[in-house]
Amino acid sequence: MTAETPPDSGTLLRTIVFREVDTAILQPSYAVFLTVLTAVVLGVAWSGGGIQAGYVPTVVDLLTPLELLIPLVAIALGYRAIRNDERRGELDVLQTYPVAAWHLVVGVYIGRAIGVVLAVVVPLALVMLPVAAYGSPPPLIYATHSGADSPWLYLRFLVLTVLFALVLLAIAVAVSTLVTTTRTAIAAGTLTLVILLFGLDIGIAYGFAGGYFGETSLIHSLALSPLSAYRGLVFETAIAVASGTGPQTASPMSSVVGLSLWGLGSLFVATRTLQR
Amino acid sequence: MTDAERAVLELSDVDRSYGKVSVLEGVSLTLRAGSVTALIGPNGSGKTTLIRTLAGLDDPTEGTVDYCGPESVRQIGYLPQQPAFRPGQSVSDTLAFYATLAGESESEALARLERVGLADAADRDVDALSGGMTRLVGIAQATIGSPPVVVLDEPASGLDPAMCVHIFDVVEQLAANGTAVFLSSHDLALVERTADRVVLLDAGDIIHDGTPDALCDERGTSSLLEAFEESIAAEAGTVQVQGEAT
Repeated sequence: MTAETPPDSGTLLRTIVFREVDTAILQPSYAVFLTVLTAVVLGVAWSGGGIQAGYVPTVVDLLTPLELLIPLVAIALGYRAIRNDERRGELDVLQTYPVAAWHLVVGVYIGRAIGVVLAVVVPLALVMLPVAAYGSPPPLIYATHSGADSPWLYLRFLVLTVLFALVLLAIAVAVSTLVTTTRTAIAAGTLTLVILLFGLDIGIAYGFAGGYFGETSLIHSLALSPLSAYRGLVFETAIAVASGTGPQTASPMSSVVGLSLWGLGSLFVATRTLQR
Repeated sequence: MTDAERAVLELSDVDRSYGKVSVLEGVSLTLRAGSVTALIGPNGSGKTTLIRTLAGLDDPTEGTVDYCGPESVRQIGYLPQQPAFRPGQSVSDTLAFYATLAGESESEALARLERVGLADAADRDVDALSGGMTRLVGIAQATIGSPPVVVLDEPASGLDPAMCVHIFDVVEQLAANGTAVFLSSHDLALVERTADRVVLLDAGDIIHDGTPDALCDERGTSSLLEAFEESIAAEAGTVQVQGEAT
């Protein structure tokens, strides 16, 4: 009756992911959250007028609002993910099972990531429908070369937004392991939001003004901030290619590296924190 | 020594401090298969710290905790003092989750629920359970994977007398099946009835480790409650806070 060998890592991860999906995503509260978010994104896109102009104008309309909305979505879904298990004593119980800290962090992250990906993809995909229906002039060229509006450019924007959201979720999960009370979780979540939205960008601006970053390194230093890295990637790969040549606004490679380091580094911090 | 009496967990000279506050000092203890060991002591005496150290949740500052039981996917089962589960799942889903982590099937998890007498609540949401039911689900969880050692932190705390008796009956069954059960409790009548051994902890020290009858004989009392009152250092109605001047 009793198992003689512990389950493999795949089984452990799958089990933890399913529980996250079951308890955090397949819930009425998440459906309401997704509906409201979709309405907000559709409303922003419609009121900005970009929908009538085409895909790339829609990207321009959505970029700034999403820079605020995506951190909110990621932190709302992630900042209590592990903290609540700790508060209920479930982390103590899980320590008596053959579950390593990394199983828990990665499992929780993947489970919540499904919710975050849906929260980004559903509204942004739905925005494509009115653009296709009302966009003027109708896009005739489905390619990504300069000067052409294209749904592919919009899809690049969508993919980059998913990447940005996944990085922020990793940061939120790390915050969730670092805090010790619900009150500090809320405070830490808010503080993280402020730092991500304003602090790092202001830091880069001060660094540039103070001469710490030279003109040539500025486009690379933007990768230090997840928000700037995301914005730079959208500009370079979804907007600039359609609007023609101009000064480079960011280094796509540095931005991808910066976002990857933020994401993987956060998951590493979360794992190390749970191991203590 | 029979198989049922073999040592499965040994604590040797365990100290546990939080900063400058020493909570456990030189605690040595051996848990044996097929027996119920009850940890009793006044509030603040270090019971939960000892339980957490024994369950492997906190490392001792000094000394060692050695598991010496049979090979097992899960060596120690644990019930926290205030068990709680992820809201949004049924009892059976919750136990199936833990069972999968220990390599068991959902049907095996449900069999454990049946053993604690809660099979009828399998489909109920965990956040709709009473305190007693939650503890029973917690005990079923603690037995998943058939760990040779099961540690229960105040399993009967705050429950009505009938539920307390039921929980101690479940504990007796576990020990009868060869499990070493270690529990803390303030219900000394049930401890006296159920426990094979009583460990009396006072101010971080074990001041008695033996049968309930031996403790009563030692103190010249007729009940465990009287023996407890005779034994503890703190005055009745006060909590001895460790690390503070008394």
